[in-house]
Amino acid sequence: MKLSKDGWAGLAVAAASLFLFWLTLGLKDNPLVPIGPGYYPRIVLGVTAAFALALLLWDALHPKPSPPRERLNYVLVLEMFAVFGLYVGALPYVGFRISTFFYIAATNALLDRPERGKGWLRVLAVALITTIVVYYAFERYLTVLLPRGRWTNF
Amino acid sequence: MFELLGAGLADMMQVKYLVPLFVGTLVGVVGGALPGITITMTVIVVLPFTFGLEPLQGLACMIGVYVGGETGGLITSCLLGIPGKPSAVATTFDGFPMARKGEPGRALWIGIWASIFGGLLGAIVLVAATGPLAQLALQFGPWEYFALFVLALSMVAGLVESSLLKGLLSGALGCVVTILGNDPVMGQPRLTLGIGWLEGGIPFLPVLIGVFAFAQIMSDVERFSRTPEAVNTAVNLVVSHAKVLAEILARPFLLLWSTFIGLVIGVLPAIGGSAANMLAYDQAKKFSKRPEKFGTGIPEGIIASEASNNANVAGSLVTIMAFGIPGDAVTAVMLGALTIHGIQSGPLFISQNAPLAYGMFAAYILAHPLVLILLFLGVRWVLRIVTVPKSILFPVVLVLCVVGAYALGNAMATVYVLLASGVFGYLMVKFGFPLAPFILGVILGDQIEINLVRSLMTDSDLWLFVTRPISALLLAMAVGSIVLSVWQHRRMQKRAATEGAADF
Repeated sequence: MKLSKDGWAGLAVAAASLFLFWLTLGLKDNPLVPIGPGYYPRIVLGVTAAFALALLLWDALHPKPSPPRERLNYVLVLEMFAVFGLYVGALPYVGFRISTFFYIAATNALLDRPERGKGWLRVLAVALITTIVVYYAFERYLTVLLPRGRWTNF
Repeated sequence: MFELLGAGLADMMQVKYLVPLFVGTLVGVVGGALPGITITMTVIVVLPFTFGLEPLQGLACMIGVYVGGETGGLITSCLLGIPGKPSAVATTFDGFPMARKGEPGRALWIGIWASIFGGLLGAIVLVAATGPLAQLALQFGPWEYFALFVLALSMVAGLVESSLLKGLLSGALGCVVTILGNDPVMGQPRLTLGIGWLEGGIPFLPVLIGVFAFAQIMSDVERFSRTPEAVNTAVNLVVSHAKVLAEILARPFLLLWSTFIGLVIGVLPAIGGSAANMLAYDQAKKFSKRPEKFGTGIPEGIIASEASNNANVAGSLVTIMAFGIPGDAVTAVMLGALTIHGIQSGPLFISQNAPLAYGMFAAYILAHPLVLILLFLGVRWVLRIVTVPKSILFPVVLVLCVVGAYALGNAMATVYVLLASGVFGYLMVKFGFPLAPFILGVILGDQIEINLVRSLMTDSDLWLFVTRPISALLLAMAVGSIVLSVWQHRRMQKRAATEGAADF
């Protein structure tokens, strides 16, 4: 039996929802209310697991020919996620201004690799201007406080 | 009603409301015109800017984005053959061939005027129907609300183009997000997996922002090309507006029917303008005396598509203002904006917040002439802006998503939710799961639980869900919508099999 993407997705969702369902069995009922905190989650997780298993079963019983593979740049997607993950991770430590500057510069360079000094200048200028504009627009004019860095206090 | 609408219009004409509406409309036109940037993404980008504004200022800005975006999307559809947004795909079918035949101005302005007519006709329904529908919903008890939300979820799951099972599973996954955190009755922690900040539950806005922004941007990144689109900004857009108006008004049935389709699709939860414009185009072709001419650059195709996608906005606003159920992702963001300002959406919204509700109607109506003025003055500038490289646009959009998520509670937890939702949203797209039912599940999951608990606390008899007439009707419609979509799916499969056999 060879599973397609649908089958694997069904399997993963079924496993996760059954695990969470098992966790709800440990929730204690409250005598003040007729239904406990686990009542609705059990319904939702039960229904989710049922749909996921149905998807798995459907995929196993109705195998589909695999679609033609498109040449997509997954490496770039991974790099984008990694840079964004680093940005989110760095935000509370180095603060909004520094991390945003580096994030914009890195993403811009990733998507449109600068080949000469002029290109790098463009990357840095875009990062600097965007960071300053966003920071001032939110902190000064829209009274939205942006994260300060624990390490930098900036 | 008219008095309140008059007051709303007078309010909206004040500079403090007119400026955000104008800015929103301008941003919407540009965002709608940018291929790869959807209206949802534009409204997500605008969201953090509205936090510091009054509720009506923020909502006026978002309504401006919505109306402007629907109209702006047709610019690149007609002139470049690239739909600025999914709800302008059908506009490309006739708009671009007409432009290529040497009539770019005609194609563009037929679209713009049809959008204005469709939108303003939709406004009549928006103003007239929202109040009575909300009144009807006021008679609902928790059983009916529970049934209504279940109906909304089942309809969305059934109406998605991919498999019904995936639609249903996607909706259920959205509900799973809402069960993490304290239970809404006694506040007892549940399924927090030892993560402290999960006790407060997962707010839906960062989930929505993450899912939509990342799904869209990363799908574009997969196919990213470093060579920018060549755009000819020197096209001749001069046209006789009297002739264009005559062309549209000579087809009153087409205009009204397309508007009606847009409204109905808009009222249905979480479907959106992409379905409206395709359906209206298809209907226009079926009713036409010259269906073979569709796709060659005839005005009917442009009118149908554009009138319907702007009317769709009005339909979506009806659903959110009368029932608190978002008609699509854009109104889901608006729902989040209302929540941030402490305003409860739902049937009581209009009676408890009449000035705000009628202000929203006024913003919707006034956004149309603003779009017209903007496009009269600056279509060519919009064409220039379209050339902004995505390598600059994407990081800026993602930074604004971070700011929007962070500003929700001035805490990093919402940013982590954004990142996790982004990864999850992208995986959903890659595995072919529709996003709309998931988001609706995230938004309605809490409400489904609260109303289920309320109903059982009032009376533990589960039969009440099927013995109370409105609740029974709504649940029957939920089952009916699933049965109907199974039937439609089977019919499509059979048709595909027959056509496949005929090909051989």
